[in-house]
Amino acid sequence: MSGGNSKNKSRSKRHEGWEEAGGEFYQELYPGGEQELFDNLQRADAAKLATLLPSKQARNKNLSNEERTWEEIMQIKAMPNATKLRLQGFEQLQWRQRKIWHRFRSRCGEIMGKLELWQSSLREIEGKFGTGVVAYFLFLRWLFFLNMAISSFVILFLILPKVLLVENLEECIDENSTICCSEAYFTRNWTRNNVILDLIQGTGLMERTILFYGVYSAQIYSFFINSWETELFYNMPMAYILVPISWALLSLVAIVKTGAKGFKERLVENEGQFYVYCNLVFGGWDFCIHNEKSAKIKHKAIYNEFKGLLEEERIKEEKQLRTKESNILMHLRRLLVNILVLVILLLSGVLIYFAFNHSMYWLDEQMAQENEFVNRTEGKVFLGDYRESAFSIGRFQNTLLEFLPFLCIVVLNIIVPEIFGFLIKYENYTPARVIVITLLRTVLLRLSAFAVLLSQIYIQVTNPNRVFCAVFTDESRLDCWETYVGQQLYKLILTDFALQFFMTFIINFPRSLVARHSNSTCLKVIGTQGFYLPKHVLDIVYVQTIIWMGAFFCPFLPIIGTIFTFLIFYVKKFACLVNSTPSPIVYKASKSKSLFMSVLLLGFIISIAPVAYSVAEIMPSVNCGPFRGFNTVWEYVVVTFESFPKFIREVIFLLGTSTFAVPAFAVLLFLLYYYCAVAAANRHMVTVLKNQLVLEGHDKQFLLNRLSAFIRQHQKRCDRRNRASFADDDSIQNSSR
Amino acid sequence: MGQGKSQFTEDELQDYEDLTYFTKKEVLYAHQKFKALAPEKVGHNKNAKLPMAKILQYPELRVNPFRDRICKVFSSSNDGDCTFEDFLDMMSVFSESAPKGVKAEHAFRIFDFDGDDMIGVSDLREVIERLCGAELKLSDSEIQQLVQNVLEEADLDDDGALSFAEFEHIIDKSSDFCHSFRIRL
Repeated sequence: MSGGNSKNKSRSKRHEGWEEAGGEFYQELYPGGEQELFDNLQRADAAKLATLLPSKQARNKNLSNEERTWEEIMQIKAMPNATKLRLQGFEQLQWRQRKIWHRFRSRCGEIMGKLELWQSSLREIEGKFGTGVVAYFLFLRWLFFLNMAISSFVILFLILPKVLLVENLEECIDENSTICCSEAYFTRNWTRNNVILDLIQGTGLMERTILFYGVYSAQIYSFFINSWETELFYNMPMAYILVPISWALLSLVAIVKTGAKGFKERLVENEGQFYVYCNLVFGGWDFCIHNEKSAKIKHKAIYNEFKGLLEEERIKEEKQLRTKESNILMHLRRLLVNILVLVILLLSGVLIYFAFNHSMYWLDEQMAQENEFVNRTEGKVFLGDYRESAFSIGRFQNTLLEFLPFLCIVVLNIIVPEIFGFLIKYENYTPARVIVITLLRTVLLRLSAFAVLLSQIYIQVTNPNRVFCAVFTDESRLDCWETYVGQQLYKLILTDFALQFFMTFIINFPRSLVARHSNSTCLKVIGTQGFYLPKHVLDIVYVQTIIWMGAFFCPFLPIIGTIFTFLIFYVKKFACLVNSTPSPIVYKASKSKSLFMSVLLLGFIISIAPVAYSVAEIMPSVNCGPFRGFNTVWEYVVVTFESFPKFIREVIFLLGTSTFAVPAFAVLLFLLYYYCAVAAANRHMVTVLKNQLVLEGHDKQFLLNRLSAFIRQHQKRCDRRNRASFADDDSIQNSSR
Repeated sequence: MGQGKSQFTEDELQDYEDLTYFTKKEVLYAHQKFKALAPEKVGHNKNAKLPMAKILQYPELRVNPFRDRICKVFSSSNDGDCTFEDFLDMMSVFSESAPKGVKAEHAFRIFDFDGDDMIGVSDLREVIERLCGAELKLSDSEIQQLVQNVLEEADLDDDGALSFAEFEHIIDKSSDFCHSFRIRL
């Protein structure tokens, strides 16, 4: 009894104690609302007070909640009519339905995940090389799907109609008409070559297949359906212009959309506080990993990532510590390297120029000789025999000459980036910067090669002395120049793929074997190779650029490209998993994703520009293709447009005039301004909130310190009081005795 | 459950279904997995308590750098030994349908090695060392640097340790966490 008494007493005493001790302190800190807290403090004893600390609060509350909930559930279960408390009737049905739907969705997701192409390969690569390299392979897969979409367009609207529909034969009456020209072109005996050579060059037999621009008809196909008693039309030239436009738009939208997503992710990561380290530390381990080997790889990947992050930090610090002299020295070095790079680029351009001219010159010479000979004998019948006998040795040489410029380009593409990679070591950039700059330089190299090649072809095609109609000329390469361009790009893509294949399996694979199985340092240096991301990115972007550029002239190119991207995935996987050792550079996934997309966008613009120019400006061949007889390809569109009903014409015409364009432009500008303003306001808000958060943090800390000091003080007081009250009790007991 | 050999009554299954993120079928499947760890013992008593060493035979746990912590966090006796209910709780938290908050709370407890309800410097060090594995060692100064960077990012109130609120804040921002903090049953 006495115990209870003393407790009561102590509490009442404590009450008074609080009154005097805490009152003024809290009064001055908290003008309002303190009473509540105060009451709490009064009721609770010191041990419980500690739970008011925010860090303890969240968890303890949760745990006790869990326990209490469990107890409550058990109580409810124990009640006699517990079954009635479950959801009944319709509600239960709804709940069940929701559950089933949820499960169905997750099941679907699982199945889709299994169907996803190359999933296991990607996991394997991720385990060994980290997320950055996987981003590259995802990009490759994305390109594969893009090419598949482009191919399906081409197959559905160009190739299938061409194969299935029957062309009307037209008689050649007027010697100058396009019909006669194309007849002369198509009935001409083609150069008889080895089938394999034709296959890889796209000449001879291959030239007149659906592979190339030339054979697509200029007719509007019509066929009569008996059961419907109607006639259907298929406008082939229109399809031929609409299909490229649609796949170009599709590619553009796909690139921009994917790029924007990556950009947004990056923005969120950059804008919000950097959580790179936290993400890695707390989200780094994949709890799904279940075998020793991949666990080991994962450890290594995380280790690499830590190292990479620290490395970046170190370079940043170094930059700040750099003195003025060393700064100047480094800038000088960079300038020097840049000049060197420029010289190398120019040299390679010149080299390609000469290679192309040389091969053209010799091929022209040869063709002239042949034609001369044919004219002299006046017998096209003997042509085949003649070639068979006299030119069998020259044929191989011919092929070599044909491929000379492309071999030159591709070999340069392999060697020069190595030089760039060597040079950039002297420039002291951050790893992320190194990737961007190497990429840019290599892109420039590849584009300069393209530019030289295309300008050469352009000069030939627009040569004013060229005779257009095949009736009046001997066989020439430019009878159907679009096909010729298509052939060039076809050869380029073949050469590129062959060399990638060759480099990976014949050169790099033995190298990696040497590195793995020998002990000498020298051989190890030769053999070891990292998976150098920028180079591989460019490889596939380059293929994609060729596809975009060539798809108008060679409709089959996207299909070939689809097959190639499919195969390249395996080539690259081999290059990655077998040939390379995990590189010391850690590539970050989100960053590299947007980088890939911007490179691809650059490639897209650069490949579409010449095609668009040729569509709008250069006169299409008279002898072949869907646009024979028109001045430009676009003219066909204009002519078709003229035949539209007047109303539509007026509307579209209006869209082009200033009455529409100026207001539209103004509205767009206005919208742009609005979004800019909103973005700026948001950015400001973010900084304000960030500052506020820091302030709150300091506030909290201050309060916590106060609180803990307070608790300590209070505890001391209590102890003292308790002791005093015990003493009181004792004295009372003593006196009562 | 129509299978005849189930060790559970319908009511028990219903309870488990209500208390976890699993369906009845998944609960049974989890029990099969649990049984596979120690067939004899679990055969006798469906809710037998298995020692930590046995629980760590589970493939995903065997290679996990935080395996002992996971067992301790989920063990009802706090010594790493788990009954089936503890095991089911563990799997349920690691399952796909568990919400982020639940995962975050358990992750916090897993990473909180010394159990002081804060992830402090020593905890962070331990996490980083375990992540790198036994063979690859970061130097002391590197770890120091990393810990400092983590704290700089996440320690909003500058008290040199991460409280649960701060940890939850990080997890909210991290898109990978939910993907990686998962064990497929």
